[in-house]
Amino acid sequence: MNFDKMKYGQKYFPDVDVRDLYRCVSCGNCRSVCPVFEVGGWESTNTRGRILIARNLYEGAEFEEEIFDSINTCTTCGICAKTCPAGANPPALVEGIRKGLVDMGKMTETQKRISETVDEFGNTLKSEEKRNSWLTSDIQVPKKADVVYFVGCLDSYRYKETALKTYKILNKLGVGLLEDETCCGSPLLRIGFSAEKQTDHNRKQFIRSGTKTVVVGCAGCYNTLKSNFPELEILSVSDFLSKNIEKLKSAGLKKLDITVSFHDPCHYGRDNSIFESPRKIILEICTLKEMKNTKEKSKCCGGGGGVRTGYNDLSIEIAKRRWEDLPKGVNALVTTCPLCVRNMRDSNSNPEIQVLDIIDLIESALE
Amino acid sequence: MGKMDKIFNELEQIVGNRVRMNASDLCCYSADASQIRGMPDFVLFPISVEEVSEIMKIANKYNINVTARGAGTGLAGGAVPVKGGIVLDMTKMDKILKIDIENLLVVVEPGVVQVDLNEALKPYGFFFPPDPGSFATCTVGGQIANNASGMRCVKYGTVKNYVLNLEVIMADGTLMNTGSECQKTSSGYDLSRLFVGSEGTLGIITKATLKIMPIPECRKLVMVSFPSSEIAGKSVSTVFSAGVMPSACEILDKTSVDVLLKLDPNVILPKDGDVIIFEVDGSKEAVDSAADKLKETLTPFASSILVTDDPDEMKKIWAARSLVGAAVSKLDPTKTRIYVGEDLGVPIKKLPEMIKKVYEVTDKEGLLPMIYGHIGDGTIHVGQFIDVLDQNDWDKLNRAADALHLAAIEIGGTVSSEHGIGAARGKYLKTQCGNSFNAMKSIKNALDPKGILNPGKLGFD
Repeated sequence: MNFDKMKYGQKYFPDVDVRDLYRCVSCGNCRSVCPVFEVGGWESTNTRGRILIARNLYEGAEFEEEIFDSINTCTTCGICAKTCPAGANPPALVEGIRKGLVDMGKMTETQKRISETVDEFGNTLKSEEKRNSWLTSDIQVPKKADVVYFVGCLDSYRYKETALKTYKILNKLGVGLLEDETCCGSPLLRIGFSAEKQTDHNRKQFIRSGTKTVVVGCAGCYNTLKSNFPELEILSVSDFLSKNIEKLKSAGLKKLDITVSFHDPCHYGRDNSIFESPRKIILEICTLKEMKNTKEKSKCCGGGGGVRTGYNDLSIEIAKRRWEDLPKGVNALVTTCPLCVRNMRDSNSNPEIQVLDIIDLIESALE
Repeated sequence: MGKMDKIFNELEQIVGNRVRMNASDLCCYSADASQIRGMPDFVLFPISVEEVSEIMKIANKYNINVTARGAGTGLAGGAVPVKGGIVLDMTKMDKILKIDIENLLVVVEPGVVQVDLNEALKPYGFFFPPDPGSFATCTVGGQIANNASGMRCVKYGTVKNYVLNLEVIMADGTLMNTGSECQKTSSGYDLSRLFVGSEGTLGIITKATLKIMPIPECRKLVMVSFPSSEIAGKSVSTVFSAGVMPSACEILDKTSVDVLLKLDPNVILPKDGDVIIFEVDGSKEAVDSAADKLKETLTPFASSILVTDDPDEMKKIWAARSLVGAAVSKLDPTKTRIYVGEDLGVPIKKLPEMIKKVYEVTDKEGLLPMIYGHIGDGTIHVGQFIDVLDQNDWDKLNRAADALHLAAIEIGGTVSSEHGIGAARGKYLKTQCGNSFNAMKSIKNALDPKGILNPGKLGFD
């Protein structure tokens, strides 16, 4: 242990918890769970390898470009943290290292592009459209509401139909919208940037709307809002709707003669223990057959941590492995996060099995 | 072009893009779960015996060191390239080549993960018994190279009892087989056993023929707590003397029990002292009878006795037990388990003496030890945990480890019961082995005259 060398890290990687960095005992238990390692095979694509690299950087080792292919390929899915016998929290370490590198100006072109895009457009999709362009004129949005729906970038721009379906249901339950929502900042935070601008903007919006509760349709947004706005109640769409299940039933929620499986998004499930609410809703509608690895042991779709954008082939390959967990005899794979929806759809080789957002399932049951 | 670039190019011709020499990839292979560190010059993944042979020819030509590596879960630095050179990551040679139930054997490549082998054998009703705590990750090749064992070895024996044949690439690239598919042989030196536990210092294992066993019909756990771990230690001899042969016999001192309960508060364990988990297996009648006999024998010593045959419960207990080594941070986040002086072995009757010594040594340094392990075969794992940011703690830890190793030797034990010597315990081997160390050295020199196979291990240069 070279304590002198650690001074470098204390100065340049202030977000890294030094005790956590040296808590890892390199036992290699993470080899059996890391979804990136399962595809990559090199230790540099495994949690243990990333921590060894992180220690080297922390102790002032010379930077080389190859480091990105290790540090930036972590999806921050957190399965290693849940299974680490030493109790280390590798996703936080990875994010701390990414932040230190970015602050030193060391980043990939992809990281730079994402940062610039979010900064300029307020979303990750480089869209100049109005954020609520999915909203139809027949819907009356309450001017003030205790509960607002935070749509997120992906549903605002890529899956507008999901945003509309979600809000049509939420609107009937008295939920409002922010006047001028912007990106929650999660894509920036995951890859090493600050998101103060986005957080401040949304804070003003929450204050203006007078909201106390925020209903979120994306696992990444949920995690970020939950951590940045402890004064607010943050609920996932499935949490909110499962609390209102009787009202949905009164609105005509009916049984469907199908069997589905459920993919737990990492940031909802492992990070925030949201396991039961989506299952409660699904079981009200149809039959549920669990995936092979489920709940806390659920495997990542490969989309998170900037991996989908930065390492698309790897990301899709991870999603393909996740498909191997699907049980036989199901009609659809349901999930609750648009990034998971996207990655699972892009990697789906079976056209007979649909990938649905849980809201698609609810809407079908309400028709 | 420099020598290293030239070697890289030649290696690349053999394995294509499965070789790397950039600093970040190399540093990922500079460690295992021990405190030993060493940076390789190249890391590569062979996928066939032919590739391994060609690689060894290059290594032999350039006098470059070669360290074979499985999952890198070792606790003595066995797979750490302390003198640089090539790290051969064998994990892509991971095929189960043959399951031959009629002949009671499997043929596997070295990179097969232990748990995958047993999953493959399960439908046939068979298993490969050696079961180290790292079973979900460790490779069969690594197990053989370390003569690994685990919780059930008290009844089933260690890896050495299961190796029928090894296909090995020697230091000069030639291939040899150490045995055959026969269940036994009486034909000259037992070279299979020579290679078991040789930690990659004699050759590179590229294929293994292993004996397998039928999965027992039933299992039952008898968990017994004792007023002290020394009394727990004494109870083991009593059990064997009574004619009971448990399939596992694991000690968990009070600190280890606290750690396990912190990991999973719902795990059923006696909470009132130092615990030994006895497992018995076999037919239902045999299991019931052995469990009754255990209870009867241990009642005079025990504080409490719990019995379970619920499969889920037993699975939970063993899963928690397999992680106890590193889990101490969950008890106190400022402390980290460091693996030094952790793998002592003594004759069964001397267990109480060794346990007493562990407490004496750690007390002297002001360290709180965690004692656990396969006490049924004389193994005592000592968990020592420190604040890794405190140099004083490191000094205490290293002094304690040294004293524990010497104490084990002094009472006729071993510095490593199952984790291996590697670079971490090399300096004790000569003291422990006496003149047989010189015989080992002669064997090493005969099979690896240039000393390129995993140098710096087993106390060799």
